[in-house]
Amino acid sequence: MRIILVLLAVSGIPRVLIGQRWERQVQERVQRTIAAVGPSPRLPVVRRSGMLNTDETASFQTTLVQHTPYAIIAVCDDDCSRLQLTLLSPSGSDIAKERNSESLPTLHFTAATTAVYGIRVVMEGCRWNPCWYAIAVVPLRKPPS
Amino acid sequence: MASLRRWVAVGLTACFLLALAYLPPRGAKSSGKSLFVGQSPQGTPVRQHARALADEWRNADATVRLLEDRQRVKRDSFRASPTIVFRGATLPPNAVHNVETVMDSLWRGLGFAETKVRVTLVIELRRPYNSDTPTPLQDRVAYLVPDSTHRTTCLAYLPAGPYWTLFILGKRHEGFDRFAPWLEAGLGPCAFYAAYGTPGRRVESWLLARHWDVGLYLGSHGIAGQRFSSLDLMGNPRSPWYWDGVYSFSPATVACLAGRPRGCSAAVLAGATEERTIPIPNVVLVERRWWRVQHLLPGERYLGDVARTVGRDRFLDFWTSGQPVDTALALALKRPVGEWTADWERGFVRPIRLGPTPPLGGVAIALAIAVFAIVVVAGTASRRQIR
Repeated sequence: MRIILVLLAVSGIPRVLIGQRWERQVQERVQRTIAAVGPSPRLPVVRRSGMLNTDETASFQTTLVQHTPYAIIAVCDDDCSRLQLTLLSPSGSDIAKERNSESLPTLHFTAATTAVYGIRVVMEGCRWNPCWYAIAVVPLRKPPS
Repeated sequence: MASLRRWVAVGLTACFLLALAYLPPRGAKSSGKSLFVGQSPQGTPVRQHARALADEWRNADATVRLLEDRQRVKRDSFRASPTIVFRGATLPPNAVHNVETVMDSLWRGLGFAETKVRVTLVIELRRPYNSDTPTPLQDRVAYLVPDSTHRTTCLAYLPAGPYWTLFILGKRHEGFDRFAPWLEAGLGPCAFYAAYGTPGRRVESWLLARHWDVGLYLGSHGIAGQRFSSLDLMGNPRSPWYWDGVYSFSPATVACLAGRPRGCSAAVLAGATEERTIPIPNVVLVERRWWRVQHLLPGERYLGDVARTVGRDRFLDFWTSGQPVDTALALALKRPVGEWTADWERGFVRPIRLGPTPPLGGVAIALAIAVFAIVVVAGTASRRQIR
């Protein structure tokens, strides 16, 4: 009986608790931010996370659906002081760049056509390398027309 | 004519005696050549080539071993202190537990809890030699630093040698008080990665250029326990080999030993101007006799002392700075690097005196000769005086 209880307890440990403190920090932070912006229930939220040293860059691609408003948010851990977020067009040119919000840059974008867009994050300031970051591409509820 | 010859003889004798008194072989740089050596101390070209090839093989072997170890290591997520892996022999569980207990204790002593960069320590226990291949790096400490294969793992390869192999296996019981310092010293640059994370590109390039000689030991004691440092390996300043040891270092290192700030600055900032490409995998191989090739004495603890002096926040500013190393370090120290380092150096060694230092006996003899010469000249002159 005791063994079963232990097994149940272990299996009940959320996946997020396994990993470093800083990883958990950004996962919790991005989760809270997604909840705060109010995602659309119809489309999935795309999430990416990782680590970067100061001045390093990471990028990935994701499909944005036409006429759907998106909030693209990036968060980072407590040691990160500045994060730059850029949205890139399918051809690779900059569409929007946010670098003023320090550790919580956010971009709002509504795609004219469905296409694969690029998202780039630059770790501009990290006091204790590497710093964890997480990005979420959140489809928002369409405003009532 | 006879009188002139006598004066020439007296002059030459006086010069010879003065030379004997003033040019003692103390503090002079050895020429490196001996009349009694029958063969070249460097070895023949063929032997040198063979040694270079063997060294190259050992370096490649060490890199491959570190990469293999990194693949094999399974990290215990719930353990904050370094994961320890033993190679070369199978250990009884209590021996593993004993080593882990010592490591946990010294990890807490260093003030570490959970760190961004985690350390894995591979302890290579002594195994028999195989005569077919060059001896692997059983006596050379090596580090696979983060970003080589994994962003947040620093792997330290620590050969135990016969002494510590027997100790770990429980076959030798003396030396317990030196075991923790040995383990702590073995963490090397990995301790800095654990404490302060991955350095900025400029600092990392600087450290790489000088084989991490200023960041080999983070602890506050000496690298071999107590206050023992690489300076102690120089021996007693009165010993005949001390000055040969001093002059085997670069001029900047020697100048710093003499307490000269400009020399200290040059010794600390050696390698800081060239920006290198960080290799992948980034393997730091510590020289076998690292204390003979330092740019600063006792350089192994320099960055550790800087960190303790300026505090964590200022040290992190330096560590991750994008500015040139000299600027970043001076900002952290709030003083010119040379001045701070010269003061730091004085904490370990009384500044050595450079240049000719006539011994007291030599001065006495020379003065006696000079007085004697003057008396002889005066006497002769007085006898030859025309009245």
